[in-house]
Amino acid sequence: MSENEWQPKIVAFLCNWCSYGGADLAGIGRLQYPPYIRVIRVPCSGRMSPKFILGAFRRGADGVWVSGCHPGDCHYIEGNFYARRKFALLKNLLEHMGIEPGRLHFSWISSAESTKFARVATEVCEAVRALGPAKKFIKDLPEVA
Amino acid sequence: MLKYADKIRQEARDLLQSGEVDVFVGFRKGTIPMMNEPILIRDARDAEKLHWDSNCGINLANYLTKRKERMGVVAVGCHSRNIVTHIVENQISRDQVVVVGVPCEGMLDRRRIHELAGRREILEVLEEESGIVIRSHDFEQRHNKQDVLQENCAICIHRNPVIWDRLVGEAVKEQDGIDRYEDIRAVEAMAPDARWSFFQQLIEPCIRCYACRNACPLCYCPTCFVDESRPQWVGKSIDPVDTLTFHFLRAYHCAGRCTDCGACERACPVGIKVRRFTKKLEKDILELYGWEAGLSLDERPPLDRYRPDDPEEFIK
Amino acid sequence: MAAKVVSKDRLNSVLSHWRKNYRVYAPVQKDRFVQFEEWEDRGEPVWEFQNSRLSPKFLMEPQSEILLEFSLDPRTEDSGILKERERVYPLQIVVGIRPCDAKAVELSKRNFVSQEYTDSYWVRRYETTVFVGLGCNRPCPTCFCTSVGCGPFHEEGLDVLMIDLGDRFLFRSLTGKGRDILAEMDGETPSADDEKLALQIREEGERHIVSRVSWDRIPSQDLMTLFDAGFWEDVAFSCINCGTCTFLCPTCWCFDIQDESKGVRGIRMRNWDSCMFPLFTLHGSGHNPRAEKFQRVRQRFMHKLKYYVDKYGDGVACVGCGRCVQFCPVNIDIREVAEKMNNYVRCECKV
Repeated sequence: MSENEWQPKIVAFLCNWCSYGGADLAGIGRLQYPPYIRVIRVPCSGRMSPKFILGAFRRGADGVWVSGCHPGDCHYIEGNFYARRKFALLKNLLEHMGIEPGRLHFSWISSAESTKFARVATEVCEAVRALGPAKKFIKDLPEVA
Repeated sequence: MLKYADKIRQEARDLLQSGEVDVFVGFRKGTIPMMNEPILIRDARDAEKLHWDSNCGINLANYLTKRKERMGVVAVGCHSRNIVTHIVENQISRDQVVVVGVPCEGMLDRRRIHELAGRREILEVLEEESGIVIRSHDFEQRHNKQDVLQENCAICIHRNPVIWDRLVGEAVKEQDGIDRYEDIRAVEAMAPDARWSFFQQLIEPCIRCYACRNACPLCYCPTCFVDESRPQWVGKSIDPVDTLTFHFLRAYHCAGRCTDCGACERACPVGIKVRRFTKKLEKDILELYGWEAGLSLDERPPLDRYRPDDPEEFIK
Repeated sequence: MAAKVVSKDRLNSVLSHWRKNYRVYAPVQKDRFVQFEEWEDRGEPVWEFQNSRLSPKFLMEPQSEILLEFSLDPRTEDSGILKERERVYPLQIVVGIRPCDAKAVELSKRNFVSQEYTDSYWVRRYETTVFVGLGCNRPCPTCFCTSVGCGPFHEEGLDVLMIDLGDRFLFRSLTGKGRDILAEMDGETPSADDEKLALQIREEGERHIVSRVSWDRIPSQDLMTLFDAGFWEDVAFSCINCGTCTFLCPTCWCFDIQDESKGVRGIRMRNWDSCMFPLFTLHGSGHNPRAEKFQRVRQRFMHKLKYYVDKYGDGVACVGCGRCVQFCPVNIDIREVAEKMNNYVRCECKV
């Protein structure tokens, strides 16, 4: 891959207890997946706010991936249940506004599912790479007088 | 609608005289055609200032939060649903408010009326049984009420108040066979780039005056996300991405709470159809979680609860 | 003073001619309202309109304006230096500005060009602008310009005054700048009939103002008495603290300065701000002297109708354009508030 070829920048919000653990285990197991994700650890997928996801797109993320514990397994019991509802609405609204489906991804990955992590990471990276660089919702210095 | 004015005055007078409420919130007749101004009265003698007609689209529920007194307030269907939402969200308590319910057949859209009048000067707009009369120096026009209703009123399915302590008239027939989401489906049918252009064009005139946010009864946060500075989620300039971010996040914060009262569109000085953001969420909330805002004092709103089998096909 | 008559169907060619040396801003129909935009040789400006939704004050004070910029990129020459944003200030003509909005620009000079300080950004934009005003043949019911030292054909702030004579415009220069642009214009000398008609239209326009506001007693009202008046709570109740009145007002000028940065580059800009916003007077310490809504509402009216009057002895800081009256989402009417202030007598009775 040459230096000038575009590489997707994907921000991955991983919940501390499950998905982050799964990512860590994937690393321990030397599982391979594309190097485009940049991880931000959150205590729980229920902590996610639309401001974070929008903030990532505004700062130039080509894709955003949020991953948490499986419903029923949340470290904080029910955080991911609330998150699930918020995610559904957010994804729908963002895509309604014109963000391409394929830029925003969600998954449930437990701390034992290292292979799933690597697989989903690969899927997400491929999906975003196919769409090319993000062009919408990018906040640059203000376009004003 | 005009026939309710006397009853509203009477109720206000009674409530204030008996001391059942400390203040009463209603409307007084505005200083320009098709506008009325919200007022708060404390004295029963001021009840005669109260007015009612089909230009009472401002959402009075907006004025109830953060007040400690016992309040009487006039409310039509959608506004009463906002009062329910306030109670459910612990902004006011049920026994703090006496709702004077008004069955409503829709409020007038003054922008539409100006357009129909060819943007010529309007001296007055009179309401008749079947419609309205626009009067000016050199012309007069008649229109059916159906043709000059606010857009949200035309598709309203909750015209009668859902919560009330006094009712000023008999319930009106609810509309049926209404398709509330035709315009949303039209956007859903577009390709992503077309949708993006659509929304960019929609908010292009926005001057970030925040009239939409401030007119909305749901927006009562002590510090709005717009004013947060560490970190700053959205810039204060009229940069198009910032403006879109503002409207996106504000709509999202109204998910499952918006009653489509139209106060935002009424307030906007440049006529932006901001309901295009909130209606999408309203549709999703209804389809995904079977919820309509403000209809129940006992149930928790959809983002405050969950079901183990909530839809999740989009989650890997 | 020079004058020319141009028939309406030839007006676009006048604008095209001006466009060779100036940016031309003309009133354009946008969906449901009129706005001043740069006219680019296509599309018809509208000349039959009451007033633009936003005043043309943005030509002197853009809603968002970058003042300074910097880069920390060590490879650039100016790395680490906060410097003025380089821009060109092209000559511009605003055609169709109403006399109220033009007077407002003159009034705004009080803020931007004072003895102690000159706002060079505003001044440069102002000095490169030629104001071609359009007299109001048919003022709106909410216009009260004649009560506040202005009028539908008032000339203050204008370089040229245009009068709509039906199928033609009469242009009259009022300043040297105005004379210069009229000199280049291809038009006829006005006839005696043209002048007579113009006078008639002017008188009719002035007669058409129905809204009158009295503020004659406000200067002699005791300031603290007005400040402590009980009616402010009532006036302020319906206010939703948006920025509609301030942003649409041609005489409002307040702004907030903020930096934004991305990576190693950044800018310092100013954005219109509104005294109606709760954060307007928030101090760094956390104290907010106008934390309550009624304090902010009172401030706006006292500033425009009392403080400004007392300080400068030059009338009120309002030109009677009526936009705040028409577009306030809750129908707070400055005309009513002025009457309240004008007629206020403190009740001395012991109750």
